[in-house]
Amino acid sequence: MNLQTASAVISLAKSLEDESAKFYQDLAQRYAEDKDVLVSFATENRKNIVQIERAYYGVISDAIEGCFAFDIEPDVYKVETALAEGTSYHDALGKAIELEEKIVKFYTDAAEQSKSLMADVPRAFALIARKRSERQAKLRSLLGKEG
Amino acid sequence: MILEEPIKGVPLVKNFIDGEWVESKGEIKDVVNPAKYEVIAKVPISTKDEIEAAVEAAKAAFPDWRRTTPLARARCLFRLKELLEEHFEEVSRVQTQEHGKTIDESRGETRRGIENVEVACGIPTLMMGYNLEDIATGIDEYVIRQPLGVFGIIGPFNFPFMIPLWSAPYAVATGNCVVIKPSSEVPLSQMKIAELVDEAGFPPGVWNVVNGGRTVVNGMLDHPDIQGIAFVGSTPTARDVIYKRCGETGKRVLAQGGAKNFMVIMPDCSVRATILALMTSFFGNTGQRCLSGANLVIVGEDDEFYKSFMDAVVATTSKIVIGCGLDESVQMGPLHDKEKKEKVIRYIESGLQQGAKLRLDGRKNIKVVGDYPDTCFLGPTIFEDVTPDMKIGSEEIFGPVMSVMRAKNLDEAIEMCNSNLFGNAHAVFTSSGKIAREFQYRVTSGNIGINVGIVAPMAFFPFSGMKQSFFGILHTQGREAVRFFTESKVVIQRWF
Repeated sequence: MNLQTASAVISLAKSLEDESAKFYQDLAQRYAEDKDVLVSFATENRKNIVQIERAYYGVISDAIEGCFAFDIEPDVYKVETALAEGTSYHDALGKAIELEEKIVKFYTDAAEQSKSLMADVPRAFALIARKRSERQAKLRSLLGKEG
Repeated sequence: MILEEPIKGVPLVKNFIDGEWVESKGEIKDVVNPAKYEVIAKVPISTKDEIEAAVEAAKAAFPDWRRTTPLARARCLFRLKELLEEHFEEVSRVQTQEHGKTIDESRGETRRGIENVEVACGIPTLMMGYNLEDIATGIDEYVIRQPLGVFGIIGPFNFPFMIPLWSAPYAVATGNCVVIKPSSEVPLSQMKIAELVDEAGFPPGVWNVVNGGRTVVNGMLDHPDIQGIAFVGSTPTARDVIYKRCGETGKRVLAQGGAKNFMVIMPDCSVRATILALMTSFFGNTGQRCLSGANLVIVGEDDEFYKSFMDAVVATTSKIVIGCGLDESVQMGPLHDKEKKEKVIRYIESGLQQGAKLRLDGRKNIKVVGDYPDTCFLGPTIFEDVTPDMKIGSEEIFGPVMSVMRAKNLDEAIEMCNSNLFGNAHAVFTSSGKIAREFQYRVTSGNIGINVGIVAPMAFFPFSGMKQSFFGILHTQGREAVRFFTESKVVIQRWF
């Protein structure tokens, strides 16, 4: 079922951030070469959750379209984050880029759909989409370094 | 995802009098979660002695509280604000459990309530008077604002958390003491607030809560030590009981009543955004609020626009997900009880009898998400060909019913708005500034929406109302509330 309420979309955002944080922590443990960068991604995910919650809980009111602002199909944004034993770092980075693409799409879609309906929330979504795009670029540079 | 319920077991609600939790000797009633149709708490219908004890405690607390500096009073409110933030999610879920609204709606209500506490924290500035030197040579004059004593605050069932907070924070910030009577149908939110008030360090007797019904209301209205009443409820009670009796007994009063809000659609509106705003307006809180859209007026003689707009409204409305408000996917909860549902159904039947065309029938095929009894659930209903003289076009239904009318032009639409007895929150949807200004200028309504379907004033603006929607002069919230809860004292001084 598509998600239409702000509450459900915020919960999805939190779960995407949580899952990707776990994924980056797992990567950091497995592949020591870029540990600091990968840990910083996981830390940033926690900050993203705080930012989204602050925007949502700060502006939610009966005057805005909290129950009608979205039409999000959650499965579109899901990525299987489990890494098989023996996955190369190169493939793991490829998976990370795929994950980021989906997450950027989620935030971009959510921001677009709720624009002018949910006050500060679309702005927070758009900001995180931008941060995640920058992260994608970083991941690509790590992949390039990998050769 | 279905969120966890904060209320476990079936607690007995107590009164909060003079800083103590006191068990009432009154008759006990059930508090029912309308989504599950199960008892979640027991509430007392307090006695005359109990309301008198609360007023007595408030009266006794007043002299010291009044002498407490505004800054120190504000600090109590700051602590309360922090505690409310800490318990934000819990109090929101309590509202959903006791009222039935969706979790997004409850969180919105919590935020709106807290905002009033935040605004009242500014009391050292808000309560300032003004002065002028030399009104005659060597003579100065100034105004100071002083609290009056004890105020009664009577809340309705539809916003159990927020509405008492439109008044109570300003009353205590200005140095008064309060006795709050929540609706006995939804007493748990105010109990939770009282717990946090206690924790925030308000002195005993400043903030009291007495549960009950008419005996408590009458006890407030008749009590000589109650200086004024802030009431939100139905128009007959606001007008014929609260306003009238306060007049007879010389009390200050602000009494907010019902509404029949018109949402006027101009053909130049932004269609998608307008339709989503209409969903919130007509069906948010299951239509149980005085700011809800009730009549949809589509302006112009363009049949094609009318048809395509209405097709889109019906299509969007048909997809509304109905269920228990703690299920995050749900967009509309149940009506608050069986009787309220039956009342809405009677209105639907009257619409049919009076010749309106039923485009979407909320009585049929109610698809409730999850395994809940449909006792209090009703789907959204849309009538077309409604005229302003029909019952469904003129009376407050307080349920998820949209009555659609057509007007030839803006003048006719404004005439429709103004011919209704109520004047609470009419709105226009347009991309024309000229039309918006014309609407704002000519429509007799306390709150006006321009591309906003729920015209809910922020805490620093008054919650206005006109005609049969409001009885009194000053309103709740912000500076007007500060004026309501204080008397202006003028001092003229000279020194020999």
